[in-house]
Amino acid sequence: MDRFINEIKAELGNNGDFHLQRDYLADAAVMLLGFNTLIDFIKTRTVLHKHAESILLQNQPSEDLWGAIGELMEGDVLKAISSIYEGKLIIHFENTSRFIIMEPVPAMLDRSIDSPTNENVIQGALDSFTEGIDINIGIVRKLVNSDEIRIDSFSAGRSRKNKLSLLYIDGQADIELVNSIRNHIEKNIQMEAYNLQGLAKMLGFPSWNAISKFNTTELPHHAVQNLRKGKVILFVDRLPFALILPSLFWDMFAAENDRNFPLPIMLAIRLIRIIGILITLITPGLYVALVSVNPEVLQIQLALSVAQSREGVPYPALAEIIFMLLILELILEASVRLPKSIGPTITMVGGIILGQAAVEAKLVSNLLIIILAATTIANSTIVGFQNSVSIRLFKYAIVILGAIFGILGLVAGLVFLSAYLASLNTYGKSYLYLNVKGNENNGG
Amino acid sequence: MHVMLMYVISHLGLIFFMYPGNVISSTEQGHWLPVLLGVVIHFIFINIYMKGLSYFPKKDIIRIYAGIGKGTAILFIAPVFLYFSMILLITLRAYAEIITIVFLSKTPLWAIMLLLISISTYIAAKGVETIFRTGLLLSLLFLPIIIFIFFTSFQNVDWRYVVPLDADLGFIIKRTYLESFFAFSGGFLFLGFVQPYFSYDRKYILWAAAFLIPFFLFSVYIPVLTFGQATSATTFLPYVVAVDAININWLMFDRVTMFFLLSLISFIMLYLALVSWKAIRILSHYLPSIKPVKLLLALAAAVYIACFFIPDWKDVEKLFWWNTFLRFYILIAIPFSLFFFGRCMKRKGIDESI
Repeated sequence: MDRFINEIKAELGNNGDFHLQRDYLADAAVMLLGFNTLIDFIKTRTVLHKHAESILLQNQPSEDLWGAIGELMEGDVLKAISSIYEGKLIIHFENTSRFIIMEPVPAMLDRSIDSPTNENVIQGALDSFTEGIDINIGIVRKLVNSDEIRIDSFSAGRSRKNKLSLLYIDGQADIELVNSIRNHIEKNIQMEAYNLQGLAKMLGFPSWNAISKFNTTELPHHAVQNLRKGKVILFVDRLPFALILPSLFWDMFAAENDRNFPLPIMLAIRLIRIIGILITLITPGLYVALVSVNPEVLQIQLALSVAQSREGVPYPALAEIIFMLLILELILEASVRLPKSIGPTITMVGGIILGQAAVEAKLVSNLLIIILAATTIANSTIVGFQNSVSIRLFKYAIVILGAIFGILGLVAGLVFLSAYLASLNTYGKSYLYLNVKGNENNGG
Repeated sequence: MHVMLMYVISHLGLIFFMYPGNVISSTEQGHWLPVLLGVVIHFIFINIYMKGLSYFPKKDIIRIYAGIGKGTAILFIAPVFLYFSMILLITLRAYAEIITIVFLSKTPLWAIMLLLISISTYIAAKGVETIFRTGLLLSLLFLPIIIFIFFTSFQNVDWRYVVPLDADLGFIIKRTYLESFFAFSGGFLFLGFVQPYFSYDRKYILWAAAFLIPFFLFSVYIPVLTFGQATSATTFLPYVVAVDAININWLMFDRVTMFFLLSLISFIMLYLALVSWKAIRILSHYLPSIKPVKLLLALAAAVYIACFFIPDWKDVEKLFWWNTFLRFYILIAIPFSLFFFGRCMKRKGIDESI
């Protein structure tokens, strides 16, 4: 045992999966070091030996072999240790301080490319991104297939390095945007970026934004289309989706897969989504406003039937709607939490509450159930889960304003929301632009 | 595009409330003449104003006047600031009153004013780009409603009320007619403030102004055509009453007025935001040490408190009337002075180059 091995052992010996194996390559006795959880040792050794054999058969000196299998280093123990942590194999020559860092056959820790789990696609490509950053970049490369794609890689974080990659198409992407993203990443390279909040902090976005600055997608086709339009993709290792920057308002309505339909159908689908967002925002507030503040707006028959449906309901419309919306949110949250096998129970129980029981117990009105159902359904038409969550939140602001000021409050809420959306921007790109190359003439 | 939209919506917000009443009560027949006169004057002044501004590319009017001299700055900028504060005060108070009258009779006035001022202050605090983008979103949302209701308001029209067409010029000196210039002079000044942020084509602004002509004309004529001059002169907000008379069977709502008014009020909020932004631009130019946001909050608070010193509608009208003199001063002095200084500059420039 020489000094080099001892130093590494002192550092890594208390890891149960640290593997040390003696082997002979060509004419040298070597030690193979690495984690057997990250490295497929059997396959790696087979590869190594085949390599050695083929070099020896051609009567080349063994120095050539070392050069061919990896990076030859001398003495740097710390480098060896950090390479082992990164999943590399260290081949150490006994009784020297020389070693080789080799890219081994990795243990299969990534799932294979699957169909998307959070975004459904009808009539379109069914592959999706996975957790491995290299696989994701590979998928994008396969789809773009152009010499103009640029990939910048960073590794961020203090204790554990996490890989980040920035992808854009040269000539399409706005170079200022790319530079500001790159500068922010380089400046904050010490920050941890395992999740979107951390990443947002790293990129200098305010953390109190109700709308996500990232447009996340699992679908490679969607991501690549955005890339072609001049947007920028960020990949974070271990996050199974692409982060498209900047996120724009129009992204709530337009999915790339729409273009697999005829143009009129596509326009109709997008119109439905626009109506969906309006219904989500307006109907709960309108209900409260009409019932509690401005019933005279309705035609008399309608006002009477609304009043009739609320007969016997013991509390004001605001309490009624907040109560039911809360239950609805609880159901939504619960169905995310529960395992798939118990999930249907929640659907059933929720269906009973939101269906007949609450109405028959005279706790809420019939009309409210219809409005809640419409709201929830409409909310789901929005493209991108992170967008629909934001809209879900804004709905409450409008409900409360509507309860105080009636329809005036509703309108004030919409004005406020418009102003909020209008004030958002990502490095100077307004949230309301229709595309990234927008100037003041084509966007909001 | 933005500037054009903003121009249209800030005027639409002003047209439909006070303007018809003022014009209708200013003359008994031939209402087209007062409207047309107003429109023509409006056109002349915005033309001169924009011409004047075009001598100073990429500069807003604060810097133009400040560049000319201290005296001019005081002579022109101070009244403009005063005028803006007055507009804020009057608009806020008047519209809160209108809202109470038309549909929120139980809600206290202070709550409505608080809502209006806080939203417009929020928008103003976010800056001019937000104001303009909000304008775009709001016009996408509400302009269709306004145009739809504008067309349905022809429902009860009796065209025989158009006659007699002949008109005399007696209305010019009437107080109500002079007050009606509120609708013309309120919005145009912002063209001088947006220069460094947005560029615009003069032609488009004129198109926008032309687009507004039918609204000016019919906001007056629809009440007249619906009720006749004698009746509509007695109503407080003639156009609103005329829209209230609309009955659309297939729509589930009885009072379409509500939606019309509210769409207009959303534009008014934006207009208030724009005016407070302009006022703050002036203030922060002279008080650069204080943060604009603080100035804005102070201004909003001052306006809000001042509103409580106006006990009822009569005082609003009195204030409105006092403001008329200031309004004409602004309407005439600012465009002409800009034009004049612009010409001087140009001539001087030519002399020097020779």
